[in-house]
Amino acid sequence: MDVVWEDAHRSTYSGERLRWACPCAECRGEAGAPGRLSRVKNLAPEELRLQDVSLIGQYALQIAFQSGHATGLYTFSLLRRLCACEECAADRKSDLGPGPP
Amino acid sequence: MTLPSPEQVLGVLSHIQDPDLGRDVVSLGMIKELEVSPQGKVSFTFELTTPACPVRDRFKSQAQDLVGDIPGVTAVEVRMTANVRPAFMRPKPSEILPGVKQTIAVASGKGGVGKSTVAVNLAAALRKAGAEVGLLDADIYGPSVPAMIGSHAVPEQVNGRLQPIDAHGLKVMSFGLIYPGEQPTIYRGPMVGKAIEAMMVQVDWGRLDYLVIDLPPGTGDASLTLAQAIPLTGVAIVCTPQDVATDIAVKALQMFRKLNVTPLGLIENMSWYVCSNCGHRHEIFSHGGAESAAKRLGVPFLGAIPLEEGIREDADAGTPVVISRPESAGAQAFTHIASQVAARTSIQSFRQLPVINVR
Ligand SMILES: Nc1ncnc2c1ncn2[C@@H]1O[C@H](COP(=O)(O)OP(=O)(O)O)[C@@H](O)[C@H]1O
Ligand SMILES: [Mg+2]
Ligand SMILES: [Zn+2]
Ligand SMILES: [Zn+2]
Ligand SMILES: [Zn+2]
Repeated sequence: MDVVWEDAHRSTYSGERLRWACPCAECRGEAGAPGRLSRVKNLAPEELRLQDVSLIGQYALQIAFQSGHATGLYTFSLLRRLCACEECAADRKSDLGPGPP
Repeated sequence: MTLPSPEQVLGVLSHIQDPDLGRDVVSLGMIKELEVSPQGKVSFTFELTTPACPVRDRFKSQAQDLVGDIPGVTAVEVRMTANVRPAFMRPKPSEILPGVKQTIAVASGKGGVGKSTVAVNLAAALRKAGAEVGLLDADIYGPSVPAMIGSHAVPEQVNGRLQPIDAHGLKVMSFGLIYPGEQPTIYRGPMVGKAIEAMMVQVDWGRLDYLVIDLPPGTGDASLTLAQAIPLTGVAIVCTPQDVATDIAVKALQMFRKLNVTPLGLIENMSWYVCSNCGHRHEIFSHGGAESAAKRLGVPFLGAIPLEEGIREDADAGTPVVISRPESAGAQAFTHIASQVAARTSIQSFRQLPVINVR
């Protein structure tokens, strides 16, 4: 999936990167319980392939994978932080910590 | 005498800057159908991004003067028109509001601040400017738009789609028209989302330049659901001088920011009044609070509306004050605010959501 941002920055995401970053409660865990993504080491190929992407309001994308998993709402700010380009990766290193605040 | 070339004309017109969009009117594509007659008469269409453009007259006289000064020009004809541009680059064609170019939400931190009054008058002012305007009363807890426009007509169904009713040249739809007299308690939790979704896909708005949406007050479920279900160009937040003092409006603003809904700005209602004893303008305690709050928060201040008996009376009688008493201070305040809001939405149509491409 490609995203071209308002500032013309282009981000490219693999299904794999997006799947492992799924922010949904099942994947991340809730109320202190660990989520699925911290319990498994591997995901089947159909878990990693994109099925569909839809816009939620003006703030997020809902991403569906071929396995049927579609509960993750990826906010634009999360997606921007997930950008894997060298420039953004370098920015993240120079910041205090990586990942979501 | 040599005739001026079209390039020469465009060259001088490119000195006109659109103050809101921050670019010249030629590169924004506002000059159309340019012709130079063999007699040296120059005519063109100046296409604004909104009929409620706050600088419409200035643009026209600037264009006339600049072109008139080119050697060889004997006459200048400027046709002013407007074409509201759609605000969204949608990743997929949307079935929600396909013919609607701009959606303007009106919100508030709490009830009773005049949100519906502002929504109705904003819609009426945009209509008076010449735009096609719809008004959606989405305040499911207290729909007051039918009373304010003086119509409780039952919307017709045509081919399974709900037709908005017509009032004062506006296309109007309200939960109060679909479910008249029902208890607001039917809208609890998930019901809210369902009712809103159904409303969004069932109503046949046709083609609209602007859809003004009276949101439910506060930052509860219903506002959240709506802000996510409708692609909004932006939201104007109404407050009184008092609630700026207590930060209620700020909370609402922050909620919309979290949802990435662009704040179009703050509107201060019941800001001042004309005293019936001395005839002078009196300021209400902590008046001007919205303007300084807007500055602090980095959002535009869209204007202040006086506390005016006529605004309430005309709302109660079913005609928005901008129509019934266009000369009143209140009506003029609403008209000014409508131009500001229209200008802010034009800016949005030159911004874009990220372009998403799935391979
Ligand atoms: N500027 C004003 N001057 C006088 N009365 C006003 C003004 N704005 C609103 N009102 C009145 O205040 C009451 C509440 O306004 P309304 O628009 O229904 O508020 P909300 O939609 O925020 O609950 C109504 O009776 C309305 O006529
Ligand atoms: Mg109301
Ligand atoms: Zn998930
Ligand atoms: Zn990047
Ligand atoms: Zn006085």
